[in-house]
Amino acid sequence: MTLTRRDLAAGSGALLAASTLTAPAVLGQAKPRVVVIGGGPGGATAAKYIARDAGGAIAVTLVEEDETYQTCFHSNLYIGGFKPYDALVHRYDTLVSAYGIILARTRATQVDREKKEVVLSDGRRLPYDRLVLSPGIDLKYDSVPGWSQAAEEIMPHGWKPGRQTQLIREKLDAVPDGGTIVMIAPPNPYRCPPGPYERASMFAHVLMQTNRKQAKIVILDPKESFSKQGVFQPDWEKRYGAMIEWLGPKVHDGIKSVDPKTGTVVTGFETYENCAFVNVIPAQMAGQIARDAGLAPAGGYCAIDPATMKSTADPSIFVLGDACNAGDMPKSAFSANNQAKVAAMIVRSELANGPSFPARYLNTCWSLVDTDDAIKVGGRYEPRDGRIAAIDTFISQPGESDEVRKQTQAENTAWYAAITADMFT
Amino acid sequence: MLRKGVRLNDGWRQGRDRESPPAGSALLVAALLAAVPAQAAGDKALGEYLSSECTSCHQLSGRSTGGIPPIIGWPQQQFVAVLEAYGRKERENQVMQTIAARLSRDDMAALAAYFGALTPKP
Repeated sequence: MTLTRRDLAAGSGALLAASTLTAPAVLGQAKPRVVVIGGGPGGATAAKYIARDAGGAIAVTLVEEDETYQTCFHSNLYIGGFKPYDALVHRYDTLVSAYGIILARTRATQVDREKKEVVLSDGRRLPYDRLVLSPGIDLKYDSVPGWSQAAEEIMPHGWKPGRQTQLIREKLDAVPDGGTIVMIAPPNPYRCPPGPYERASMFAHVLMQTNRKQAKIVILDPKESFSKQGVFQPDWEKRYGAMIEWLGPKVHDGIKSVDPKTGTVVTGFETYENCAFVNVIPAQMAGQIARDAGLAPAGGYCAIDPATMKSTADPSIFVLGDACNAGDMPKSAFSANNQAKVAAMIVRSELANGPSFPARYLNTCWSLVDTDDAIKVGGRYEPRDGRIAAIDTFISQPGESDEVRKQTQAENTAWYAAITADMFT
Repeated sequence: MLRKGVRLNDGWRQGRDRESPPAGSALLVAALLAAVPAQAAGDKALGEYLSSECTSCHQLSGRSTGGIPPIIGWPQQQFVAVLEAYGRKERENQVMQTIAARLSRDDMAALAAYFGALTPKP
């Protein structure tokens, strides 16, 4: 039998007797418990840092259904032929063997905030003193008329890792020379702001490499502008001529519908028929478990305290990464990894008398445009006026030298190696 | 003091031995060290927390694939001098300039103490 702090607090007769007779031993077993939901950049990092730095004083359970983590970040490099798929796959073994994290290979279905328990798909309940929620995003399957979950094989999104990523590459490989790819970009806020545009770059790279130079990539965007636009667009022209065409809402006049059966995309301005490949990246929201727990408004993201990463609705719960509204910080792996460290520091200070310091945040997003040609955007962030606010930002400039772009890609490669080591080893 | 326009990070770009601090010429090192007065060791606890920001890009093991240099096991004065050079935008790298501009002298000393005490691993 495993005693929990809740059991002790509840004080059944037997437990009361045990705690009276052998208080030190019983209390010794009742380590503070942290449950982490989601083994991505937010969750894996938080679990590791809490377990590692608490030195055994906190029991950390990571709830993750999948055996491996397949990174969404750098999945565009797989699509572009710069990485094998296997290079995106990481395991949780070291988190268990080196840091004593308990890995619960199952799905968390519900958070019982009143009892402070996580309910698992097999019916078990995990009590927690602090909960770290990092479930990522859910897709809004009804955000593009005519598209649905049933259509995601024919018109893949590729915005969650795994089979969807591979489907994107397969569809790209099947595009004939002269064929048209339509990408429907998502509205803000969404996972990986420069991601759609890096992906379009990778499409063009592959098409050029495989001598399909008459193919066309049309990006239909619900946004008036996009991340790193001032750098992407001149680079596209330089690298790929007129192959990539970006159309904002003033030009396309609204994305009216798609028809997965015929490969048709209808906008207010034009109808694209017989598309070789339609990549629908829909609107997004916080993962279901966070929404169901009442931590996010309908269809939205979880509000957090910028000084702690705690949910504003529940001080026992931290929400990290794509599922939270982190103010000026973009939804990126870098951001989630960074936010996890603030949360871990707060958890240790509250449960294991660790030191506490003011929260600081950092992000950088690299995007590959072509071989040895990468660009970046990033910044520093701090809590200001109840939100995480940008303090200082930077962005690559159009017309940078080949040497600078090559160095930026070398950074991108080194960052991937470092952040995955930081998460999983 | 450092002259403006001196590009200290060229050595990093050329794939320097990862266990060696990426300094330029001996003269430059001397200039860097002279710019940093001797000081008490930084606060390692603070350094440990701040270091978590660095480890998103710089591996704690000291491993490096070349695009981002290893930062462990450096002499502390040199570590601080390099960060200060980024803070003054005398070293090129937008990410590091942005980070260094927000670090206090105590923060830099704390980071230097923390990373300086780590040993590179193969």
